[in-house]
Amino acid sequence: MPPLDATQLPALPAPFWFIQFFKVLGFLLHMVPMNLWYVGVPLAVTLYVFGGERARRWSERLMVQMPIIVAAGINLGIVPLLFLQLAYAKAFYPATILMAWFWLAVIGMLIPAYYGVYIYVSGMRDGAGSMTVWRRAAGWCSAVMFLVIGFIFANAMSLTTNAAAWPDLLDRHSVAGAATGTALNVADPSLWPRWLLMLGLALLTTAAWTVLDAVWLAGKEGGAYQRWAQSWALRLALAGAVWSTVTGAWYLFGTWRPTVFKEMFAFPAVILTVLTAVSCWGPGALLWATRRKALNWTLAGSVVGLQAGVLALNAISRQIVQNIELRDVFQPSVAAQPTAPDWGPMALFLIVFLAGVGVLIWLFAQLAKAGPEPSLDGPAEPPAA
Amino acid sequence: MHYPWWYVPVITAPMLIAAVSIVHVLVSHYAVGGGLFLAVETAHAYRTKDREYLAYLKGHTKFFVWLTVVFGAITGVGIWWTIGLASPLATEVLIRTFVFGWATEYVFFVLEITAAFIFLYYWGRLPEKTHVAVGWIYAVAAWISLVLITGITSFMLHPGAWLDPATRSFWSGFFNPQFLPQTVARTGGALLLSSLYVYLHASIALKEQRLRDLIAARSARPALLGALLILAGGAGWYSFMPESAKAALAAAAVLNVLAALIFVLTGVVFVLLYLGPYRNPGWLSPGFAGALVLFGVAAFSTGEFIREAVRKPYVIYNVVFGNQILPNEVAELRSRGYLEGARPEGRSWTNAYIARHFPQVMDPANPTRIDEKKFLDLPRSEQIKIGEVLFQYHCNDCHAVHWGYSAVAMMLYGRTEDMHLDMIENLDRAPFFMPPWAGTREEAKVLAAYLASISPPRPGGMVPQ
Ligand code: HEC
Repeated sequence: MPPLDATQLPALPAPFWFIQFFKVLGFLLHMVPMNLWYVGVPLAVTLYVFGGERARRWSERLMVQMPIIVAAGINLGIVPLLFLQLAYAKAFYPATILMAWFWLAVIGMLIPAYYGVYIYVSGMRDGAGSMTVWRRAAGWCSAVMFLVIGFIFANAMSLTTNAAAWPDLLDRHSVAGAATGTALNVADPSLWPRWLLMLGLALLTTAAWTVLDAVWLAGKEGGAYQRWAQSWALRLALAGAVWSTVTGAWYLFGTWRPTVFKEMFAFPAVILTVLTAVSCWGPGALLWATRRKALNWTLAGSVVGLQAGVLALNAISRQIVQNIELRDVFQPSVAAQPTAPDWGPMALFLIVFLAGVGVLIWLFAQLAKAGPEPSLDGPAEPPAA
Repeated sequence: MHYPWWYVPVITAPMLIAAVSIVHVLVSHYAVGGGLFLAVETAHAYRTKDREYLAYLKGHTKFFVWLTVVFGAITGVGIWWTIGLASPLATEVLIRTFVFGWATEYVFFVLEITAAFIFLYYWGRLPEKTHVAVGWIYAVAAWISLVLITGITSFMLHPGAWLDPATRSFWSGFFNPQFLPQTVARTGGALLLSSLYVYLHASIALKEQRLRDLIAARSARPALLGALLILAGGAGWYSFMPESAKAALAAAAVLNVLAALIFVLTGVVFVLLYLGPYRNPGWLSPGFAGALVLFGVAAFSTGEFIREAVRKPYVIYNVVFGNQILPNEVAELRSRGYLEGARPEGRSWTNAYIARHFPQVMDPANPTRIDEKKFLDLPRSEQIKIGEVLFQYHCNDCHAVHWGYSAVAMMLYGRTEDMHLDMIENLDRAPFFMPPWAGTREEAKVLAAYLASISPPRPGGMVPQ
């Protein structure tokens, strides 16, 4: 429905596969840290109060790293959004404009949620007994805000592909045909399983973080912590698999449109669909099979690798589904938009990208020289001034 | 039209962009200049083995990271959020033109954040040289990201050679006539604003007079240099502005007052800096530093506001109008109708809305087309409703309705409907920084009816009545 004479706009400055590749890659990378705050912060603040000694250690370890995890997640989120706005503007802008105030509230909540993490972490130093109520509350508020932000994202992304609902939403949320920005996509049955599905994936990612942290950074915690972490990761991974399976089945069988269903269950897409669905059992199965073995780098690395696969399969499947769903907005298809690749700036970007990776490697090499123990125990605290 | 319009009461949606941008630049310039300060001063403190200064710098770095990595970064994303909501077409054009500029900037952004965290968390654990090098990586990456984003924002005021299809490219758009002046001004802004923040921070956090004096003296030169760069860049900004934007600056009462104000404020800051930190470092009290910051922040906010305002009637000069249409659509919209939309195939948002709510004005032969002639057969109350739709999509980006930002009702006291009609049909002459009227005569009439329905009568108490 949203029309703009495409010939009057500059064409897409990169081949469509390039845009698609970075969009999916960016989303995959974004999911890793995002998952850790999505489920990690609520779990951590809960376990800090109700957990045993080791669970509290786990909670402290995760939260001490959280300021950096959040920074990484926000940054990595920029990439998929940039490429989404590049090639999918016609669907993305209407959806977010219809729910403008909620969409803007993401920014309004992200700032206090992030500061809440800092405040909570600086309070943790004093030990659970002496952490002040308001610092504790800051952590809880952050946890809730991250969940709400996730809900808004689920709304924005599901509304982006739900063009059929736009005219009605505009009618109900408008002044003289202009959007008041107060709509949400709650009438769309796919919203709920989509939102909940991410929680399942997030449990899985948190499990992978738990074993990785235990072998890599938690050296001084001792063997008992590592054993606890291993079994905790197993429980997280199994819970994540069950949760993902239930919400994923709800999403697929309860809410997919017939066209999506037909295409995703036709050969060869069906291979991807099935793999995506069963992959969420991978990390849990591995942790179960090795539950009596000591945690080591190989095991932790394999769990992380499997979880990376889970997220990658999800990111790819989601992209394919999104493209199918958007066919009614981008006729004949989103991939068929005119492109005029702009190789010069693209080369600039790729060169800077490689150079940037080089600088990052140099930076991390310096850290290795600084000693084996990263100073994550010295979290930033609110300024003295 | 092309996109749904977001109606924000009282302040109008684009003013949200201005609000978020102002908040952001106040931190982002510190993110650039503060990085330079930390790199240079940490090196100095190492060289002079000044442990106390190092301790202060570490504390300052905490504050710096805490403010820039969270608030600075997220408000930056916030600008992007708001432009997509309030100026979707312009944002689409910008992203299509400069996506690789943003992607490149993003790489520097990642470097910045990584370096900032390492600089802070590994304080005292890295060899001195390495630590300073990390500080410099941050500072350089931050400055380059300033340069990259300035290429894009300055394009919005003056696309220059990009406008000509023969020379249209990423590079001609990026190195536009405004690029250099704005880069100079923003670099100066980064130096100045960060020095002012450093003063405020030091005056509050430091008790020791020796260190305060040291900081006051060492940061005075970059601050003074910053003020000079702002004035030089500002002069360049003015001289390389499109002629019509210059005229708009001169013609709009608010804008020329504000523009003068920036120069006055920057001058005041310069004099205070010279008398204070430069000549009399001992003056650096929280009150004095606070006053400096206040003047600096006022100058900056004013500058940012003007930068947004002076582009009217465009969002991207000569490329996208404030009301989210392209200049080369105007002629067609005048014949086909603004609500109809310029595109031959597909339907505009306004077309779909009218079809749902006023089916009686649709062309029976082609039910997806609006027949504007039928507007005038509608009862007046219905005409007013369609006029309101036109107002939202053609005018609300610059005018609130009854009261608020440039509220249209407040400008129409006592005017007659004929005067409204005349004004609408000569929109880009009344004044010239409004976009051209881009609708049919029938549309102008129903809009005039709407304006008449909201314009207040001539205020009482004036003689002769
Ligand atoms: C791109 C921004 C922009 C758009 C779009 C715009 N205006 Fe304006 N308009 C202005 C500015 C700026 C002024 C000057 C305000 C001032 O001096 O305070 C102005 C002034 C006016 C005035 C008072 C000027 C006069 O003496 O006639 C009226 C009435 C007005 N606009 C109505 C409209 C209407 C109706 C529309 C939609 C058809 C519209 N404007 C669209 C920017 C805009």
